[in-house]
Amino acid sequence: MVVPSAVTERHLALPTGLITAILLAIPGYFFGVWLGTLFGLFDDQNTGVILGYGFAVIGFLIGLGFLNYPLGRLMGWNMQPVPVYSDVDAVAAAARQGWTRYFSLSLDHKVIGLQYLVTILIMLLFGGIGAMLIRTSLLVPDASITPPGQYIMLIGLHAVMMIFITSAVILGPFGNYLVPLMIGARRMAFPRLEALSFWVVPPAAVILAAAIFWGGFPTGWTGYPPLSEQAGQGMDSYIVGFVLIAIALVTSGINMLATIITMRAPGMTWTRLPMFVWGIFTTAILGLLAAPVLATALIQLALDRTVQTSFFLASNGGSNYLWENLFWFFGHPEVYIFILPAFGIIMDIVPHFARKPLWGYRTGVVGLFGVTLLSWFVWQHHLFVSGIAPVLRPFYMLSTELISIPTGIIFLVTLGTLWRARVWYTVPMLFCMGFLFNFLIGGISGVYLSDVPTDVTLHGSYFSMAHFHYTIVGGEIFAMMAACYYWLPKMTGKMLSPTIGRVHFWVMFIAFNSTFFPLFIAGILDMPRRVSVYNPALQGLNQWVTYSAYALFGSMLLFAANLIYSWFFVTRPALANPWQVRGLEWQVPTPVPVNNFDRVPLIVAGPYDYGIPNARPVADFGGLVGATGGG
Amino acid sequence: MGLRIEPADRPHAIRLLIIWVILSVIGVIAALQIPYPPGNQSIQGDDQAKTLQLLTALATPVFIGVVMMVIYSAIFFRRNTPELVDGPPMLGHTPVQVAWIGISAILVLFLAFVGITTLASDGVARTVGVPGRAIGGSTTGGAAQNQASELEVQVIAQQWYFTYRFPSYGGVETTHLEVPVDRPLDIHVTSLDIIHSWWAYELGVKADANPGVDNEFHVTPQKTGSFTVRCAELCGLWHGQMSDTEGKVVSQSDFDTWIAQQQKDYAVIASAVPSYAPSYFPAPLTKGS
Amino acid sequence: MVRRVSIVGGSLVVLVVAIVALVGLFVLRQPGPLGQGATTKIHLETVAAVGSANEWPRPNDPHPDWVGYLPTTILKVPANSTIAVQIDQEDSATGLRNPFWGKVFGTDGGNIHMKYFDDKGNPQEGDVNSIDPTQAAHTFAIPDLGVFVPLLGVNSAAPSGSANVITFSFKTKGPGIYHWQCFVPCGAKTIFGNGGPMQTLGYMGGELIVS
Repeated sequence: MVVPSAVTERHLALPTGLITAILLAIPGYFFGVWLGTLFGLFDDQNTGVILGYGFAVIGFLIGLGFLNYPLGRLMGWNMQPVPVYSDVDAVAAAARQGWTRYFSLSLDHKVIGLQYLVTILIMLLFGGIGAMLIRTSLLVPDASITPPGQYIMLIGLHAVMMIFITSAVILGPFGNYLVPLMIGARRMAFPRLEALSFWVVPPAAVILAAAIFWGGFPTGWTGYPPLSEQAGQGMDSYIVGFVLIAIALVTSGINMLATIITMRAPGMTWTRLPMFVWGIFTTAILGLLAAPVLATALIQLALDRTVQTSFFLASNGGSNYLWENLFWFFGHPEVYIFILPAFGIIMDIVPHFARKPLWGYRTGVVGLFGVTLLSWFVWQHHLFVSGIAPVLRPFYMLSTELISIPTGIIFLVTLGTLWRARVWYTVPMLFCMGFLFNFLIGGISGVYLSDVPTDVTLHGSYFSMAHFHYTIVGGEIFAMMAACYYWLPKMTGKMLSPTIGRVHFWVMFIAFNSTFFPLFIAGILDMPRRVSVYNPALQGLNQWVTYSAYALFGSMLLFAANLIYSWFFVTRPALANPWQVRGLEWQVPTPVPVNNFDRVPLIVAGPYDYGIPNARPVADFGGLVGATGGG
Repeated sequence: MGLRIEPADRPHAIRLLIIWVILSVIGVIAALQIPYPPGNQSIQGDDQAKTLQLLTALATPVFIGVVMMVIYSAIFFRRNTPELVDGPPMLGHTPVQVAWIGISAILVLFLAFVGITTLASDGVARTVGVPGRAIGGSTTGGAAQNQASELEVQVIAQQWYFTYRFPSYGGVETTHLEVPVDRPLDIHVTSLDIIHSWWAYELGVKADANPGVDNEFHVTPQKTGSFTVRCAELCGLWHGQMSDTEGKVVSQSDFDTWIAQQQKDYAVIASAVPSYAPSYFPAPLTKGS
Repeated sequence: MVRRVSIVGGSLVVLVVAIVALVGLFVLRQPGPLGQGATTKIHLETVAAVGSANEWPRPNDPHPDWVGYLPTTILKVPANSTIAVQIDQEDSATGLRNPFWGKVFGTDGGNIHMKYFDDKGNPQEGDVNSIDPTQAAHTFAIPDLGVFVPLLGVNSAAPSGSANVITFSFKTKGPGIYHWQCFVPCGAKTIFGNGGPMQTLGYMGGELIVS
């Protein structure tokens, strides 16, 4: 038997990269449309559009190179199973790639984190413009600025774009970038899944935006059938885009869980884990378990729309309650997917700037898990007035109100950490304080909505709209801003201007409250959500809100200006540890080496051990002899 | 482990307690003065306004407490030296944690108890197991009423209008709703096409209109006047325009006159309208016609 | 520095272009008002497919197979005046979902004047206050003014190409934008017939701009 003397490295002939990906996505779309018309029994184009988007995404991913590795293994070629960044050659190769690696399939969690960040900031701009157009339309109580058709299209695009963003805004950029650094690993457990979880997001955003060419979709983000089955081909964008986001949530969920469970450095015990990692851990549980339910419901909706099943049509034996249950069974854990990483950020940043140990670390972790557990038992509070099973309403009222206990723990832990501290009020710390104020209002207004008698009046009104903007924008986005100002120096090697940062914070904080607090009042005074025509008596209130919303948008432009100014023009190189904190991620050099840690560190103390006499440094970077973790 | 306050904590704790008590008393008194929507046009609306008032009165001290802590920390717990100094290494305080969790649990359980009793005083016991209905309704609370005297009204939603049928008046259908005062209403909401939500704001009623479902609830108007009806579930192009400001609560004699006039006006169409039913499936699919 | 400025500037230009395109799409996608100024007469035509209209053709319509009112559904009328409407109804019957709308509401005299064809194809004419709900092709309804007018479908016995001519008048209230729509589920190929043209201005939905 002749054994090949050397297995030669072979690659696919296809040159892979972003350009190839786009070049393959376009024929993919037309192939799908053609296939759809082949099966087009119903002459409604939905089959073609859905298959078109599907094949475009498959073409896009193949063009990026997602098939190279599995195909190579199938062909028996000598494929490197995972990049080993301890390998000097691999490090040099990655460094040689330079900035182009941000535009190609990279398996480096730091590259993926930055890819996520930039993508999401661009999406945020478009979502924000949608919000500004909505607010402009509401300057007048009739539909004279924006016709009603365009108005509900804007509602749908703004809502779904923002849901895409907020699902990933912390988990994607900061989760991917920081989790390995914080637990002392050199990479994620499944780098290819990690890359996939990012590379489905840009197609999701593009497909969603493509709904404009079909006239949008009329359902908002909830997609209630039968309206969503009545809708035109814009609805198919909603379905395919959301399925892609569900894929991103599942893949990043399983990846984060595996990484945090198996790849912690020696000595990184569960009680030494930074709170941010706990936030990501609980989020990953929710993402992994909730997103498949959404995908199931979306596929049912797609079948209803294409091959004429009737899962959600009462007239043909289905029920729209099926969708409402499936959607909110995903939808309520989904809102905790937004906020749990934000809790993690707040509980992580506050002790570092208070320079005190986290007050009640274990209680804080219990709080996060309490929210995670309870979030599965509350979904029918979205359906109190829908007519589903009234006997169950007391149960859902109780379970929803119970969730304020673990949420209250987050406040307890944070305020306890601030107690008698010597707080350094940096820009990230300002955003943390803003978070506490905003999320308090968001949380308290949630109790109003959980109580059935008051929910009858407040349900589906601007009150509930103000409530979830307080929790998502005032909570999650404020936490995300704190994270940007805090961690971007590590991620980009450049400090953001603290002067612009302070102005940004105060404008954003005041404009945010001035925008959304009056909307509680509008909701209490009979203004339903998603209407282009409202009670003329509320015009003054709405004009005030619109002008505040412009200021809020202006504050986001200030943030963008700060990024551009600090990244490109007046670069102030960041020190390795500009905040002088104990977090493990700050102990590595800036910019972070490709292999993160030359040797896997030995963790010898917790990240928040400030003021403890004779506290040891957080880690011993001499490394263990024969350490294998994170290879 | 008893409650032990360290000497360094004491001035802060006393100061905060005094500020909190003063501000909370002012806040609660203020919260009790505000007139709460949806007002007292119906018994159920009155219940909702009272619950809103209770929630606000309870939320005010919580809100003031936390905001006060945040502001106090921002003022007194800030670094006043040029170099970074570590704070005291406090890892936690079990009695405080237990107290915080205990108080929030008591508050939450109390609210749930109040909510459930408000509901149970009418809703749950009454709407479940009523024969002839597949799925129960969303009763909004209020005292139990004499069922025999109830006026049955059906709300039929479609894209984009609500119409009303009165089975006890020969199934006459109208474009606006007028109801007699002080008489319990048994309202059935259904839809001909997609999901809508019938929101009679001043009456304190919101109920989703689902195709093929009879969503039932009870309400008793107690004051004459007008009310606004809006659609509270996104239902397509004219969702925002699906409103009616001409709902009226009138005296029984005015109602009798009005309904007689409606029966006369719409007699011409009476034979074409289908007989009264809990829900309607007028046209199944028209896809691919 | 120059390279930096060009990269940042270039990306900003791309973003601005994308934003302008996004906003522009909203502006371009709306039908214009009926160019009759302060008229008190409205003449409309309903056709089964706007692409095959004779009198008011729409050559570049994105949905030539949709049912629609012609020439436009954005109507400008003066406040507190009587509006005379003539509708040439050329479509065949679909039938009402809610037969209640077979009755005429809110017109002057509670009637409409109708020239139509009977089952034998003979032309008929007269004032009516209701029609057979199963024979409705469309309705002209302005809910906020309480105006609901059912439009009889063209009988299959009628000569091809003929139209039912419906005339009526109603009174406007104060200035404002009032929506009007059709209550016949005539949006073929959509569930419950209320999608597509029913959900789009310029086809089966419109605005009455009272000024």
